[in-house]
Amino acid sequence: MTTVAPRVLLPSAATKGEIFKVKSIINHQMETGFRHDAQGGVIPRKIIHKFVCRYGGAEVFSVDLHEAISANPFIEFYLRATESGRLEFIWEEDNGGVYRLEHELTVA
Amino acid sequence: MSLTRRDVLMAACVGSAALASAFPSLGSARAQDDAAQDNTMDLIERLTGQTPTFSDRLHLVMPAVFPTGYTVPMDLDIDSPMTADDHVRRIRVFAPQNPLIEVANFNFFPERSIARVSTRIRLAEPQYVVAVAEMSDGTLLMTKTFVDVATNGCI
Repeated sequence: MTTVAPRVLLPSAATKGEIFKVKSIINHQMETGFRHDAQGGVIPRKIIHKFVCRYGGAEVFSVDLHEAISANPFIEFYLRATESGRLEFIWEEDNGGVYRLEHELTVA
Repeated sequence: MSLTRRDVLMAACVGSAALASAFPSLGSARAQDDAAQDNTMDLIERLTGQTPTFSDRLHLVMPAVFPTGYTVPMDLDIDSPMTADDHVRRIRVFAPQNPLIEVANFNFFPERSIARVSTRIRLAEPQYVVAVAEMSDGTLLMTKTFVDVATNGCI
């Protein structure tokens, strides 16, 4: 079982008001609940069902993911640089697992 | 709780007699897609209580042909000033021919994010993928694009 490790790619500095791109990915099987194992039993569903991005504590972008999102969910989105602060990225898994990343952004 | 294709087809059975008479050549795949498309409009109306309108402001960009259904790229964007008075609240994506038709719901926030996102999705078979955008004034805009995938990415 590989460790689930999310990654994000975004600038560490931006000018005020600028739109910047954020790329996020997390290595997760996104088990749909439709697959069967070698004995014929159903492999239970286990997916990342929510992705949230917070900027300075406020939610600025979020996604409700369903089974149709591919394995290793890749989400690329765009934010406006408002002030220097911390961005938090949170992935919520079925059965309560939570994965987080933080990133400091300097806004001139 | 998840929206399965069975839910959509059961709802379609109610109107299936009407559809059969309207589409005498039901053997063609596109006619079946049109029937599925009517189901999607009905489905969106039942989910939201509103009728969405097709709009070319909303862009759902996906490859017309793709070799695998496991990881089909999807780019979604809409022209919107994203101000407090005029913004997109969220965009929902559906794949009506998948076993579970909901794909994702993207939430946007005025002044903080722009309504543009890319991801990769699984598709079970060649189909129209549908996007529905909910605007801040409550209107629904929708668009669709046909994606021909060579393999079933949902099993």
